[in-house]
Amino acid sequence: MSISAATKAATDALAANRAPVSVNAQEVHRWLQSFTWDFEKNRTKYPTKYKMANETKEQFKLIAKEYARMESVKDERQFGSLQDVLTRVDAGNRVHPKWNETMKVVSNFLEVGEYNAIAATGMLWDSASAPEQKNGYLAQVLDEIRHTNQCGYVNYYFTKHGQDPAGHNDARRTRTIGPLWKGMKRVFSDGFISGDAVECSINLQLVGEACFTNPLIVAVTEWAAANGDEITPTVFLSIETDELRHMANGYQTVVSIANDEAASKYLNTDLNNAFWTQQKYFTPVLGMAFEYGSHFKVEPWVKTWNRWVYEDWGGIWIGRLGKYGVESPRSLRDAKKDAYWAHHDLFLIAYALWPTGFFRLTLPTAQEAEWFEANYPGWYDHYGKIYDEWRARGCEDPASGFLPLQWFMENNHQIYIDRVSQVPFCPTLSKGASTLRVHEWNGKKHSFSDEWGERQWLTEPERYECQNIWEQYEGRELSEVIAELHGVRSDGKTLIAQPHTNKDGKLWTLDDLKRIDCVFKDPLKAL
Amino acid sequence: MSIQIQQGKRGLTDPDTARVILDAIPAEALDSQRKMNYFVKPRGRRLSEYEVLTVYAQPTPDWIPGGLDWGDWTQKFHGGRPSWGNETTELHSTDWHKHRDPAKRWHAPYVKDKAEEWRYTDRFLLAYSEEGQVRSIDPFWRDEILNLYLGAYIFNEYGLFNAHSAPSRDTLGDTLRFSIAMIGFDKVDNAQMFQMERVFLSKLAPGFPESTDAPKAEWTKGSIFKGAREAVQDIWQATYDWNESIWSAHIVYDALFGQFVRREFFLRVASHFGDTLTPFFINQTQLYFSQTKGITSDIFFEEGLANDAEFGDYNRRILRAWTDKWLPRTTRALQDFLGIYAKLPVIAGVTDKVSVEQALNRVFDDWKIDFADKVSYKFDKAAIIKTVLQGMK
Repeated sequence: MSISAATKAATDALAANRAPVSVNAQEVHRWLQSFTWDFEKNRTKYPTKYKMANETKEQFKLIAKEYARMESVKDERQFGSLQDVLTRVDAGNRVHPKWNETMKVVSNFLEVGEYNAIAATGMLWDSASAPEQKNGYLAQVLDEIRHTNQCGYVNYYFTKHGQDPAGHNDARRTRTIGPLWKGMKRVFSDGFISGDAVECSINLQLVGEACFTNPLIVAVTEWAAANGDEITPTVFLSIETDELRHMANGYQTVVSIANDEAASKYLNTDLNNAFWTQQKYFTPVLGMAFEYGSHFKVEPWVKTWNRWVYEDWGGIWIGRLGKYGVESPRSLRDAKKDAYWAHHDLFLIAYALWPTGFFRLTLPTAQEAEWFEANYPGWYDHYGKIYDEWRARGCEDPASGFLPLQWFMENNHQIYIDRVSQVPFCPTLSKGASTLRVHEWNGKKHSFSDEWGERQWLTEPERYECQNIWEQYEGRELSEVIAELHGVRSDGKTLIAQPHTNKDGKLWTLDDLKRIDCVFKDPLKAL
Repeated sequence: MSIQIQQGKRGLTDPDTARVILDAIPAEALDSQRKMNYFVKPRGRRLSEYEVLTVYAQPTPDWIPGGLDWGDWTQKFHGGRPSWGNETTELHSTDWHKHRDPAKRWHAPYVKDKAEEWRYTDRFLLAYSEEGQVRSIDPFWRDEILNLYLGAYIFNEYGLFNAHSAPSRDTLGDTLRFSIAMIGFDKVDNAQMFQMERVFLSKLAPGFPESTDAPKAEWTKGSIFKGAREAVQDIWQATYDWNESIWSAHIVYDALFGQFVRREFFLRVASHFGDTLTPFFINQTQLYFSQTKGITSDIFFEEGLANDAEFGDYNRRILRAWTDKWLPRTTRALQDFLGIYAKLPVIAGVTDKVSVEQALNRVFDDWKIDFADKVSYKFDKAAIIKTVLQGMK
């Protein structure tokens, strides 16, 4: 128990030195990198073909308590706005009906992405060896929990205060019915968590967050505000403040593997696959949500896409990673073509399948048709005429007995599902680039709509074998499927989904559907 | 009016735009069900905000019990392993969405609590230093025990923290995923707080090293933490079942070894060496231990896996087998740790053998009531304590 001379001197000095001092987060964080140690079994449970460097740093340098302080301050602002001023001005009930419906989908589907990102970053936390890099991923784990709750809160808020709670109040259950769900899972769920850990990081951080969160989380706030929705900007812009950290994590992932030989062999292929996968879904779905799910328009989707995806991400962001050997994806040019027509193609199918949604869809009005034609010349001749025909046959009126899906069948326009992206397409009606390709594997036929996805399939078919809605519902009558999967409102008979948002329009019921006797058929069986 | 919005116009505040919007809104709401997730079975009398915002966020198909989706995964691991699968744990459940954090913490309340603890910590450190409380710490305790052994304990907490990464990835339920990530986050917070104490001491007592070098050498090469290090390494990296990771880390190892080291050693002994600083930090870790116990008790006991209506008996057998596996390692960790008393003077009622035995009895008695009895796990407390006490030189 001897006291060193230095210690004694220091102890003596304390008698005179009683200035108040504390410890800031950075003073703790700078030791973080030393918290780990080497041992034989120290290896990740999620192997990657890349080697992540042991000394990788993070950019945000947070410790647990400082992270909590920072997020708590943001929460106070956000929930303060929502629960106080926005509620007092009845903001939840002053949103255009079309946009109220869009947020049923956007908020819930983003929630799925955020939720899966918890698991994805948990995997990266496990895979990284550098404590700082682990720490960056850890903060993201917590962020993604925050975002899951926030997205849920948007639906929760609209359930409580909005004009049509149905769909907002049960999206976690009814989202599984329709054709948009499985594609959503491919990009925002399984694509983040199932595969090589670095490949998942590329999907999540380098493409999902760095590329598509700008149009998804930032651009959506402009469309929301234009259509009376101040709930979404309040929440989504708060989410976006965390996304910067996630983009930085993606950047650091690339930095951590930059010197690894595997990076030069695989990185650009993984990036291309991730980009194509994400764009295949988001390009049409976001464009459709903005342009067909709003009354007031901000700008044509193709312009938004070009600015955020092509220039900002494909040019600037990827350009910054050029020094690490990263190149703009080879599929970017094809994606740019998709950004023009793909969302129009998808809406045609989504509207035809409207009963399977958990939201109400609306055909473009005459005013909107003008806007579409002005911004997408040729729109009316291809799409507008079809909508006019559907409207003339009474597609919005339950008494008409007409579902646009019947029109597809009558005219022999088959709707296939792309096996890799799970996105539906109609090769005989697509104005975009979709073409039908069919392969047989494992005793089944599989359809594809493009070369990039087809390549992924041919390389690893066992990863994408998931059945689609046609196979799942084959031979079953439509109303029976809807009832079984809870697609009805609280009266037990009126559908949550409707083909209009007209406040004076009649609402369809299960009986209205049943009378039509629409039975699901798998188009691949006819080939 | 034109549907092309002019830049900067907002539908809520621009009168013309607002008029069009309000005119389109129905006079009455289209549905009367204003409770989100009304189909979720609440744990209490009514659905809590925590349940509304958390339950069924997990998009699993119905072949994973409790899932609401159908079909297969849309993308799998290379070779076809599923995104999430029942085979990732030996335990079975009739519903992986059943767990509830008794404190009902979703993200906002969780960070609010921790932010308050951070602000309070900062104020405490300012006051502590201003009145010169550090003068009362016995220099031996400070420079030997706190520096080396509390310092080495940082690595214990850091290793256990890392044992939560794979369970955060692999667990099959949403409430489970939130809880597991949060109790893992608390563990790295513990490690950081102990380093914070070291940095703080280095400011108050010039010459006290803030560097982690010596504590790390003690953790990796010393004898006091040898058993602990081996147990932590295996919990972290040699355990692939996510339920076993949580069970071994929290129900067996931390509930025995962690509790002894924190509560019965540092917390009790510190005051005898004039150390009022370490108890401040230890008590925060004990708060987290208590909250974690609430969570893990709900996962495994209460309405959890050990009492699952269909698989309870089977799960209890597995949990007992896991306890059989981890208890001896924990016993070894305790036995090695007791070597620390040889470095301390014998203080009657504090560091003598009788006191240490009493402390071990407290820890094992708590463990029996809180954990072992709940899965009918039988153990010979006297024999284990006798083995552990062999570590006292």
